[in-house]
Amino acid sequence: METTFIKEELLFRQLETAFENVVLEIARKEAVLVYAPKELVAPILLYAKEKLGYKSFSHLSCVDWIENDEFELVYILWSPETKINLFVKTRIERENPIMENTDTIWRQINTYQREIREMFGVEFPGFIGEKEFILEDWEEIPPMRRDFDTLDYVSETFDERPGREDKQDVRERIANRSGEEIPDFAKKYSRE
Amino acid sequence: MYNDNNAQTIVEYIKNFTRKNSLFMLAYGTGCGAIELPATLTSRYDAERLGVRGAATPRQADLLLITGYLSTKTLKRVIRVYEQMQDPKYVIGFGSCTINGGMYWDSYNTIKMLDKYIPVDVYINGCMPRPESVIAGFKELQRLISEGKADGATKYKENLDWYRENQKKVLKNWPLVEYNW
Amino acid sequence: MNTILFQLFGALATILLAFTVGMFYGGIRRKIIARIQNRVGPPIYQNFLDVIKLYSKETSIHHGAMQHMGPVFAITASITSLMFVPVLNGEGWFWFKNLNFSGDLIFLVYMMVFGSLGMALGAGQTGNPNSAIGVTRGLSQMVGYEIPFVMSMVALMAQFHTTSITGLMNIQVQENTWLMFSNPFAFIAAVLAMLGMFHYSPFDIVHAPAEVASGPVSEFGGKYLGLMMSSGSIFAFVKLTLFVNIFMGGAANLIELVIKTFALYLIPVLYGVTSPRYRTEQAITYFWKWPLFFGVIAILWASF
Repeated sequence: METTFIKEELLFRQLETAFENVVLEIARKEAVLVYAPKELVAPILLYAKEKLGYKSFSHLSCVDWIENDEFELVYILWSPETKINLFVKTRIERENPIMENTDTIWRQINTYQREIREMFGVEFPGFIGEKEFILEDWEEIPPMRRDFDTLDYVSETFDERPGREDKQDVRERIANRSGEEIPDFAKKYSRE
Repeated sequence: MYNDNNAQTIVEYIKNFTRKNSLFMLAYGTGCGAIELPATLTSRYDAERLGVRGAATPRQADLLLITGYLSTKTLKRVIRVYEQMQDPKYVIGFGSCTINGGMYWDSYNTIKMLDKYIPVDVYINGCMPRPESVIAGFKELQRLISEGKADGATKYKENLDWYRENQKKVLKNWPLVEYNW
Repeated sequence: MNTILFQLFGALATILLAFTVGMFYGGIRRKIIARIQNRVGPPIYQNFLDVIKLYSKETSIHHGAMQHMGPVFAITASITSLMFVPVLNGEGWFWFKNLNFSGDLIFLVYMMVFGSLGMALGAGQTGNPNSAIGVTRGLSQMVGYEIPFVMSMVALMAQFHTTSITGLMNIQVQENTWLMFSNPFAFIAAVLAMLGMFHYSPFDIVHAPAEVASGPVSEFGGKYLGLMMSSGSIFAFVKLTLFVNIFMGGAANLIELVIKTFALYLIPVLYGVTSPRYRTEQAITYFWKWPLFFGVIAILWASF
């Protein structure tokens, strides 16, 4: 059966006429993607809130595209009337990442911006929020960046309890010793 | 007469007997293990028959139960809480995360060995330990107390420098305050 | 000389009795709660273990002079009120002729508040915000239950033209009746006020562990907590004995005393174990409705 995207098409048209320079895509049922340059993010959010009935801001997340030297910020909006998720995606450069402050549109963006500033080091000039959010006294590069080597940091800062250096998979040995049978589905998770 | 060995033994016995049968427990429930404690304390497993009951504040508590993983941020609070408790005090590390980091073995923000930062008397392993194991842990602690071997607090006092050094290695920029404990 | 010595020994024996009975009642309460919740529960001597352990703990907290005085005030108030409550009827048993003279009811009502005030001062010094909230709640609740309690006491005093506890006890012996039948409304008001006095659920808003981290005692550990537990046990005995004395005809011997006080003690325990905690304003409203009404009726009953 052919799926019809009537309300998604409608939203698509509305956004197409309102903004130039944006790439639109209907990802799946009830999900519309907008790829926009970073100057257009605030106007799109405002337009969606005022004209399209997007009352609710769901999430702001960040993706580290280290290969392209870019961060991607994803603003996820939700409209209770049309029940369509609107994803506004924008890319900013990885060196000196600066994004426009949008917490005047939805106040809850403030919290997400604090998190992203701490975890990715993206700066949002002009917004008011405590510097420390989850971490305390963090001196390394922001930990969710992909060039932050977690294992390295862990082996430097914390000690490992001796005795498990070999990190063997003892599941099978224990099973053999006690005559237990490992179920088939569990075998494919074996480390060997 | 007062230095009579027998008399002292009797006093020690009474002390240890009451201590082991009356454990006021402060559950530091930031990890996922906190959810096992309601089951342990209520009708089905009923830890109160062993004399274990909840204490509301660290000042009243004898037993600090660290349920699950500790991030470096909560470690600060745990150290403060531990130092506010009154002697004699005991610590139970609860779950694999307190023993060797458990599933957070490569997490940048979770400590791996709890006994490097505060002295731990009993570990309960498992992820998660079921209420039966928690009760077994209480029993083990009671055995240690009655034998006079649960001396974590003395260990902490005597080796304070070593503990402080480890704590400072993880908690940077923390002005360590001396409390009146 | 001999009489003074006897009286001192009597006082000591009374304190010991009050402590033991109060502690066992606390243990039985925990057992009852456990059984109602379908648990095994701690042994009934559990409270003794707790207290001995608390006394053997180190106590090295200093927040100021009043913090050390608070628990002492509490236990002083408990023991002082105990000294003014006749334990047994008439001559009673030899040892329990304690320091009580013809114990005055007005003084006793006053003295029973003193412990809470001392506690409030001690808790205030610790600077813990939970303590401050707990103290505020406790004093508000006291305003709630003191009014019906005092009204019922005033009704009794007006009805029988005496302020003395022994006087009231003698009247019951002479007329061969209990005052709870002579002035039933005073008894109802007093018992409802007693629910609040015990600070058991649903009126445990002062100590509510989940809300204010045990309130006033949140900074007190070790020996001070032990002192407060002892003080609470003694005070429970004081309240129960007072109620038995003035409403239930006193007791001729210890067994009768234990039976009567325990029957009375079951009221707050059973009411508490089946009721969830009130909020502060709910608790005060509770006391200012029916208990107050019965207090007024009791006074009217006494005057006509």
